[in-house]
Amino acid sequence: MKRFNWKSGKKYAAVAAAAASIVLAATGCSTGGGNSSTSSGSTGGSSSAFQGSSSETYYMVTFLSGIEYWKGCFAGMQAAAKDLGVKAVFTGAPQYDINQEVTTMQQVIAKHPAGILVTSINAQAMTPVINQAIAAGIPVISFDSDAPQSKRYAYLGTSNIEAGQKAADYLGQALGGHGEVAVITTPGELNLDQRVQGFKDEMAAKYPGVKVVAVQNGNSDQIKTAQVTSALLQTYPNLAGIFCTEADEGTGAATAVQEAGKTGKVKIVSFDTDKATLNAIKSGQITATVAQGTWNMGFWGLMDLFAIHHNLVHPVANWQQSGVDPVPPEVDTGVTIVTKSNVNAYLQQ
Amino acid sequence: MQPVDTAPVNIDKERETWLRRVARIRELTIVLVIVALCIILSFMSSSFLSVDNIVTTILSIVMTAIVSVGMTVALVSGGFDLSVGSVMSMAGVVTGSLALNGVNIWLAAILGLLASLCSGLITGLFIGKVKINPFIMTLGMQGVVQGVAYVVTQGAPLSVTGVPKSFLYLGQGNLLGIPVLIWILAVVVVVSDFIMRRAVVARKVYYIGSNEAAAYLSGIRVSKVKVWIYIFTALLAGIAGILTLSRFSVAAPTAGQGMELQAIAACIIGGASLTGGEGTVLGALLGSVLVGIVNDALVLLNVSVYWQSLVTGFVLIAAVTLDVLTHRKKAN
Repeated sequence: MKRFNWKSGKKYAAVAAAAASIVLAATGCSTGGGNSSTSSGSTGGSSSAFQGSSSETYYMVTFLSGIEYWKGCFAGMQAAAKDLGVKAVFTGAPQYDINQEVTTMQQVIAKHPAGILVTSINAQAMTPVINQAIAAGIPVISFDSDAPQSKRYAYLGTSNIEAGQKAADYLGQALGGHGEVAVITTPGELNLDQRVQGFKDEMAAKYPGVKVVAVQNGNSDQIKTAQVTSALLQTYPNLAGIFCTEADEGTGAATAVQEAGKTGKVKIVSFDTDKATLNAIKSGQITATVAQGTWNMGFWGLMDLFAIHHNLVHPVANWQQSGVDPVPPEVDTGVTIVTKSNVNAYLQQ
Repeated sequence: MQPVDTAPVNIDKERETWLRRVARIRELTIVLVIVALCIILSFMSSSFLSVDNIVTTILSIVMTAIVSVGMTVALVSGGFDLSVGSVMSMAGVVTGSLALNGVNIWLAAILGLLASLCSGLITGLFIGKVKINPFIMTLGMQGVVQGVAYVVTQGAPLSVTGVPKSFLYLGQGNLLGIPVLIWILAVVVVVSDFIMRRAVVARKVYYIGSNEAAAYLSGIRVSKVKVWIYIFTALLAGIAGILTLSRFSVAAPTAGQGMELQAIAACIIGGASLTGGEGTVLGALLGSVLVGIVNDALVLLNVSVYWQSLVTGFVLIAAVTLDVLTHRKKAN
């Protein structure tokens, strides 16, 4: 067949490379890379028990590692790391995949860190590998999504069910106790399913006049959610409220409602506090969002890990032998409903 | 090697009409299916045939349709482009992040399009000149370009505020009561359809798809045409990405996820064939509309979310089966 034409091929390649590098450089220069680890040199001469060393590394292991939500958690962990003079590293499985997260966890264990803060994609699947870490002498603490059967020292997080309940409380009240609402979620994701369950149960119990007319799949995607929302608005012309279990779905729903000219008439309650959601609350497109105590999960999680690693906590003598948990085993970091009245506090972060 | 220009003219016209005839038949079938569906759905829901709902349904498929127009060209040539979803996301985030850093939004949009064109150029070069299989190449590019989108955004959707209203008008404005996005789609479809039916290079694409060896032997520079094909596909994906940014004011790195399969499905429903040589821009639009109506119906009829992917998959299989059966009839 025809030999590869080097001359024109080279010309094309050069143009492609030049153009690509111009564009990448333009965006690279203007955005600046993110740093996912913090290290802080330990100040000499300090004899505080709460001073670690910069070689001491703690890992945060997540799933869907690219999403905005973990940023809040990691920000808290980094703040603690800075105060303690240790290093915090963010990692995780990029996709919603059990195998990926288990593998990532095993890779982290192999690095023998000072401690691991982990959120589990699936409690049963992650239990063996969490126990593996503890058996290797690495303290492990769960945050956000727990693996309650494992030997983790503590769990810091929000009950997803409670988060759904709080959303239902807010929306039910905002609608005056009657009206039609729809829920948009991504079925099959455990934490989202729990939010929906909490929402539906609370609504049925506290605000029986509010009917949940539909639960639709937004696929964690703005475009799909916008399509589903506009179809819902057509199907239920009296729709008064929408609960979105995920930030991207909230943005998509808000756009669809705006396109239908119903901003303000249809109250949207979304989830988490990414910039787009907060701006939408400010502009009135989204009525409220459920903010979780993510910063605290990261901050206190690392504090607990540090305390365990440095053997600073002695609620009983020899807790290791007696099997007593040295730190509070279940910590509820709480939820806040963010509305126009308090959105500025979150925006300033 | 002299391209034989005069001899193929008669065969040209014959094949053209023959191709056109089959394509027209396929499009007519789709139109009939759409009309039938609309009638059935209007009985099931009184609001279905309202102007509001029709506009809403078409608005919901604007992005898929724009990407499908590009995908059709790739399919006609016997290939396809799995990277369109990532290119869509990347164009949006490049534009958005530049705008957030003070670059004029229109310049940012041009740079975003330029980034898409680069992606298309690289894809086209490797498929056309280095002759890498389109599946592998575009799958690889999907990863690379998606990675670029993630790196630029550090994983988070960008809230692009403070953008001039003139830019937002594209994605959020109305002209004569119809969303500007639909007008833009109409322009894209009309222009692309015209190019695919009239331009000489378009004819070459059909030849390449029908019989690549014969096309090459008849003097068509197959590698060059292929480069242009994937540039076109990426360009349209980039346009869809920037329009998505304008519509939501948010540039999400995952904006186009899954778009490639939706576009391929829409094109095949609209008459394109995975083996190449067939497909029209109008077919791509009709296929997208059909997919949009089916998605709309799923919500309208309150079909449980767990059944929805089953239904969508079933519709695709039915469409592909129809495609294969008609193909067999043609061959006989």
